[in-house]
Amino acid sequence: MEENKIGEKEKILEIKDLEVKFVTRRGIFHALNGVDLELYRGEVLGIAGESGSGKSTLLLTISGLLPSNAWVTNGKIVYMGENLIQDLVDAGKPKYNKKRNEKAFKKLNEKLQNIRGTKISIVFQDPMTALNPVLQVGYQIAEAIYYHNPSILAKRILARYKATKDDMREILKILKSNKEDYTEKLLEYIGRRNLEGLEEQVLFIWERNDLHDIKKEKLIMSLAGERVSRFALPFLNQVAKTNKVPRIPILSRFIKRILIKEGYRKAVEILSILNVPNPDKVVYMYPHELSGGMRQRVAIAIALVNNPEIVLLDEPTSALDVTVQAQVLDLVKNLRKKYNSSFIFVSHDLSVLYEVTDRIAVMYAGRVVEVGSKEEIVSNPLHPYTQSLLRAVPTLEGNEVSPIPGEVPDMRNPPKGCMFHPRCPFAMDICKVQTPPMYTLGNGHKVACFLYGERK
Amino acid sequence: MKLWLFILKRIIYAIITLIGLTFMVFALLHVGGNNLLLATYLNPRLTGPAREEMIKELVQRFHLNDPIYVQYFYWLKALLSGNLGYTNTPIYSGPVTTAIVLFLPNTVMLTIVAAILIWIIGIPLGVYSAVKRDSIGDHTIRVITFTLYAMPIYLIAVILILIFGIYLKILPYSFPVNPILAASLPWYKNGISYPTHIVPLDALIHGNLIVFWSALRHAILPSLTLALAIVAGVIRLLRAQMLEVLEQDYVRLARAKGVPEKVVINLHARRNALIPVVTSYGYTVAGLLGGAVVVESIFNYPGIGYWTTQALLNDDVGGIMAATLIFGVVFVMASLILDIVYAILDPRIRY
Amino acid sequence: MERYSEFRYSLKIFFSNPTAVAGFIIFMLYVIDALIVQFDPRLLGISNPNVLQMNFVNPIPQPPSPKHPLGTTYPGIDLLHAIEAAIRFDLYYSIIVVLSGAALGAVLGIISGYVGGLLDDVIMRITDIFFAIPYLVLAIAIGFVLGRTYESMVIGLVIVWWPLYARYARAQTLSIKRMPFIDAAKISGVRDLKIMFKHILPNVLPPIFVQISLDLGSIMVIFSVLAFIGLIPNASIPELGYLTSLGLSYIESAPWAVIFPGLAITLFALAVNLMGDGLRDVIDPRRRSS
Repeated sequence: MEENKIGEKEKILEIKDLEVKFVTRRGIFHALNGVDLELYRGEVLGIAGESGSGKSTLLLTISGLLPSNAWVTNGKIVYMGENLIQDLVDAGKPKYNKKRNEKAFKKLNEKLQNIRGTKISIVFQDPMTALNPVLQVGYQIAEAIYYHNPSILAKRILARYKATKDDMREILKILKSNKEDYTEKLLEYIGRRNLEGLEEQVLFIWERNDLHDIKKEKLIMSLAGERVSRFALPFLNQVAKTNKVPRIPILSRFIKRILIKEGYRKAVEILSILNVPNPDKVVYMYPHELSGGMRQRVAIAIALVNNPEIVLLDEPTSALDVTVQAQVLDLVKNLRKKYNSSFIFVSHDLSVLYEVTDRIAVMYAGRVVEVGSKEEIVSNPLHPYTQSLLRAVPTLEGNEVSPIPGEVPDMRNPPKGCMFHPRCPFAMDICKVQTPPMYTLGNGHKVACFLYGERK
Repeated sequence: MKLWLFILKRIIYAIITLIGLTFMVFALLHVGGNNLLLATYLNPRLTGPAREEMIKELVQRFHLNDPIYVQYFYWLKALLSGNLGYTNTPIYSGPVTTAIVLFLPNTVMLTIVAAILIWIIGIPLGVYSAVKRDSIGDHTIRVITFTLYAMPIYLIAVILILIFGIYLKILPYSFPVNPILAASLPWYKNGISYPTHIVPLDALIHGNLIVFWSALRHAILPSLTLALAIVAGVIRLLRAQMLEVLEQDYVRLARAKGVPEKVVINLHARRNALIPVVTSYGYTVAGLLGGAVVVESIFNYPGIGYWTTQALLNDDVGGIMAATLIFGVVFVMASLILDIVYAILDPRIRY
Repeated sequence: MERYSEFRYSLKIFFSNPTAVAGFIIFMLYVIDALIVQFDPRLLGISNPNVLQMNFVNPIPQPPSPKHPLGTTYPGIDLLHAIEAAIRFDLYYSIIVVLSGAALGAVLGIISGYVGGLLDDVIMRITDIFFAIPYLVLAIAIGFVLGRTYESMVIGLVIVWWPLYARYARAQTLSIKRMPFIDAAKISGVRDLKIMFKHILPNVLPPIFVQISLDLGSIMVIFSVLAFIGLIPNASIPELGYLTSLGLSYIESAPWAVIFPGLAITLFALAVNLMGDGLRDVIDPRRRSS
């Protein structure tokens, strides 16, 4: 695996020259026209743009969830040293062929099954349609774990089974003693006593701030001595070791049920971290019984449950009202501390992006036109489009809100040269003919505009 | 709302519908004046002065000279106490209640077997047709179901008879069991078997495996006809629903989560797609019951449908009215069960 | 001017759909046959007005031959002529049933949906009662009680069929009721009755029309099934189901006697369904835009 370090940061995702078109009866939509983007570990990257800029399509391409009429004509998405979309690009040459494309998608789906949900996960815009209405919320979370890391579930059960009351008392002593490094001491003890899987359960209870200390002790004590049917034990051990559920006809259903039940427990833990009230009741509910904010939290829980490296968020707050929006944004901020994942946060609302992101990339008509740290973008916008975007945002001081003249181009017939030139107040002759390359201007601030062509 | 509350509500609703059903049958009986009511309850074997006696007694008992609502009350009373009149047909003559007990089981058996067949054939084909949209398999399925949908039930029966009964000669197409085999049986008379009145079951009970096998073979074509007549509608609906569901966000999310494709289709997609299919299963059952009338008469299978057609041909009021009532009752019960199944499947409906 | 081009556009959509056009052509063939039989049967070679004239000289069904292109059925009836005449009757009765049922049901449905309240509840409960009995059985019962004639069968089927249209029209009415132009009409003082007929009805009609065209096939099938099982004692009027029942006892030796009348019905139902699907594509705005 190549490690590209810029400064101290490690590049985990690189997108280069990405071109995606949609083939419809009404014509070919040029959704993405040469996107260049990088994502570094542990950062929150915001993508700003209006509807039609291609930001949702970008997320769908990264996660491989494009519909089968999507034609990937060029580009690569490099993750863990591999180009995820190689097959799609090959299938698209030289011309779009529906059958070939569908086959390539099928292959892609199989290939990505180990990545999706574990390393790269996605949260959709509308939580109501993203959750299956006929399945319990807890099941939908548990299922994400079951299909990728059943060994965690098995280990948790086995740890509870093996632990004795004495073990729990020892653990409590550790927890109550040192304030600083009890986590390490705990892990050490658990390692010694071979109780892997217990630590997250113990820590979860201990770190809750809605319970009495006494109650917490009681709960931790109750973790010990779980009853597991003798019948299931060997299979649980097998799952714990191999991370695969054995495929025996009737038995595997039985094992699945046990593991999913454990998944419900884990779901309760995650929902609690996400500040969902009464998580133990919520997991048995159906999506329509929950409010919009709660549903979105469930969707986020599903995305986070396997500790992914990259979390894609497609306008997660746009379908929610403002107060709930704020809560979800706080959540995202807290999560990066806890999970050390990287986030790509797509929104049309620059103020939202300023709240949560480290860097912001601005997209227009299928291209990234400017990217830089959020302070840079907001205080020193370089691209004319970014400048007009900022001017169009109303602020509390009541600045003059000036909408951008002109309309988003029809992506069936994109303009030649720079996509923005029909609306750009600074358009020069060259803009009408050539596509501007990305110019780097220090501090990681890049812009695709001929205005900055001479500077280097 | 909790499930049991919903069930309670549905049961009350079913009772109300049953009462409405009695209104309707009563109204039908009175279209031609009191004669039909009389004809139903008049024991057909009586003649002469005994007949006159009975008529007078009936007029008394049912208050036939009193206003209509009084009559309804007494008729309902008789109904609930188990007296539904007399039927007079070649295959059976006697009290209606006995006729129902004798004939209903066979029909129920055929209907249930047909329903199971519809489930086994229809669901997989519907799902397949949607998942492999526009494939050769899909087009074949669509053409066949479209044709089946347009065919009258008797034509489906005829074609099945021609193929399996006459051309291939592998399946029988008349009577519930081979009449030569059954001629010497003490527990089988005129198409009616004892004690359960379901022919294959009784054969098992009496330990006669040869007759059992014959009864099974005789039941295949009637059930298959029923099933084929209805399955076309089921497949069409399921296909349309699956196509819609597969476009939904939650299906995409399930794939994004890494759920294996088979589970995505069979759990996430199918369960949602089945909901309207189950809801419309009400029409399916209506079609099955109505179809039983035709199928039993073509295949000479002694069930309620066969009795109904016999009653029709012999101007037997008692039979027709009772059949209407029974079909209605059976249908209301079946709808009730289906609604409960629907509530179990779709948690959103338990308003 | 706009309405005219809208109509032409609809025609264009309909006729660009090959299966719908095929269905339409077949349907028209049936209609033409019915008209010919009605007005000048001799064009089709029918010389005897009583097509079901029993011929006991040769009662056993004969296979197709130059003299009898579709063969004959018991007792000695020429199938081709019988089917031609039967088509007319079936078509005639089916149209009556469908139009009456649709009219009755639609009117009641619109009223029910528009007025709402107790009236709506009552009408809906009544439709529920009608739905409680399988339609075939109910039709049998009604036909029986009214004296087993073709007319009573028609009445029976209308009674069985109207609840469907009532429900359908009511649902449409409910969704149209919410639209702003209804409120606008109410505010400007248009009386309820007028609203119902001038505003709601024209919007309810297109989907009802599609449903009618689809039901034409279903009703004819049900009609033939009723005749098949013997609801009609009188054997003088040709009917496709009845013709099939005539051949049933000779199924082993003369399969054509049951297949041809059955095919005649199936073909009609198929054609009507294809046509109806084509119409639905025209009317349903969602399908159009793709």
